[in-house]
Amino acid sequence: MENKQPESIRNKRRPIGLVTDITVNFFHLRNPWVTAAWSALFPGFGFIKLGSYIKGFLLVAWEFLINSEAHINMAIMYSFQGQFDLARAVLDVRWTLLYLAVWVFSIWGSYALTVDLNKMAILGLRENSTMVPVSIGALDIGFLDKRHPWMAVGLSMMSPGLGHLYTHRIPTSFFLLIMTIATVYYSHLLEAIEYSFLGAFSLATGILDPQWLMFIPSLYGFAVHDSYVNTVEYNILFEQEQARFLRDNYQSPHFSSSLLTPPKGEA
Amino acid sequence: MHVARSFEYNLHLELAISELEKKGIARDGIAAIIMDSRVEERKILDTIHRADGISSFDTAAITGTFGMLMGAIYGFVLYWGPVIWGIIGLLVGFTLGLMGDLLLTRVFKKKKEVDKKTGTAKGPSPQVFLIVECDRDQEGMVKGILWDNLALGVGTLPGNHK
Repeated sequence: MENKQPESIRNKRRPIGLVTDITVNFFHLRNPWVTAAWSALFPGFGFIKLGSYIKGFLLVAWEFLINSEAHINMAIMYSFQGQFDLARAVLDVRWTLLYLAVWVFSIWGSYALTVDLNKMAILGLRENSTMVPVSIGALDIGFLDKRHPWMAVGLSMMSPGLGHLYTHRIPTSFFLLIMTIATVYYSHLLEAIEYSFLGAFSLATGILDPQWLMFIPSLYGFAVHDSYVNTVEYNILFEQEQARFLRDNYQSPHFSSSLLTPPKGEA
Repeated sequence: MHVARSFEYNLHLELAISELEKKGIARDGIAAIIMDSRVEERKILDTIHRADGISSFDTAAITGTFGMLMGAIYGFVLYWGPVIWGIIGLLVGFTLGLMGDLLLTRVFKKKKEVDKKTGTAKGPSPQVFLIVECDRDQEGMVKGILWDNLALGVGTLPGNHK
């Protein structure tokens, strides 16, 4: 008895990606060390990069809570400055140990997940799976299109989250915009920028809250890098999808065989 | 006769095809050739139509972020403060990461040479080649549609009269 899977199931078994109205989630090859590095800089960012949003958001929320309560950022700052007694004193022992296991998990977990998703990416590509490039929903419209990577970078540099809004990666965008507002406000960054550019450096140093300020570099770098990578990979995905469409529909065996026949009288 | 046209992948390509079909060109009379590039040259910076997925931007973004963090940390004990030192750290980290990545790439990965005689992979090369079969009197219409939809180039092959 033959048990061959019909084409319709084969195509769904190993998908390349899914276009939904709020985001396009998809597999593409990534360097697991890059994902791991973002997780180390900010637990959860590695997962958000991969499109594993629930895990990513959980870990980021966790990071905000425990880091703030245990004063991990303050301790990191004092340690790098060589003020080890202050580092020891600032840590809240009631919270600190909670940090370690989850931090290590987030690095290892996002590394391992990247390796697994890379296999999915290869399988999906080899299976030549179909995908629908447009999704129109009640609240938003998602579709594949060519977009400029450097536009995404520029927007992300102006405000983390805007670059993702441009590429229609709404969950990341929403999250980054809120995180940016919170960290900028509580760290007093904008006042410090004002003072710094006016030359009042001691005022700038004095007003900044280091505990909150130290979230910002990771947030900023992540927004810029992730929106860039996404735009590039979306463009590649667009090309793959369109190439498949063209192969399926515009390579007819009935296409003229007279293409190479020379015109009459010229032969 | 045949009208051939080269194109980048984008939505205009599909707009052109659908318009041709609407104007009476049969689906079987349109053929798309998907061009594979023979030589893949690694680009430092990706553009909208060319990207290799391995980007020097990866390392630079991570080292830049780390540099910004360090700049902010030491900025608290330095004269210019965390904002200015953070920006300096970002620039230094980004530059070092980019240079380091390019250096390592040059050492460990053999760069594929571009054939200078054929010029493969130099400059923008067409990614899709579309061939449309049509009558002589349709030629102007077909060419117009192709040019209007951002074709890179359009050419004709007279061939036999249909």
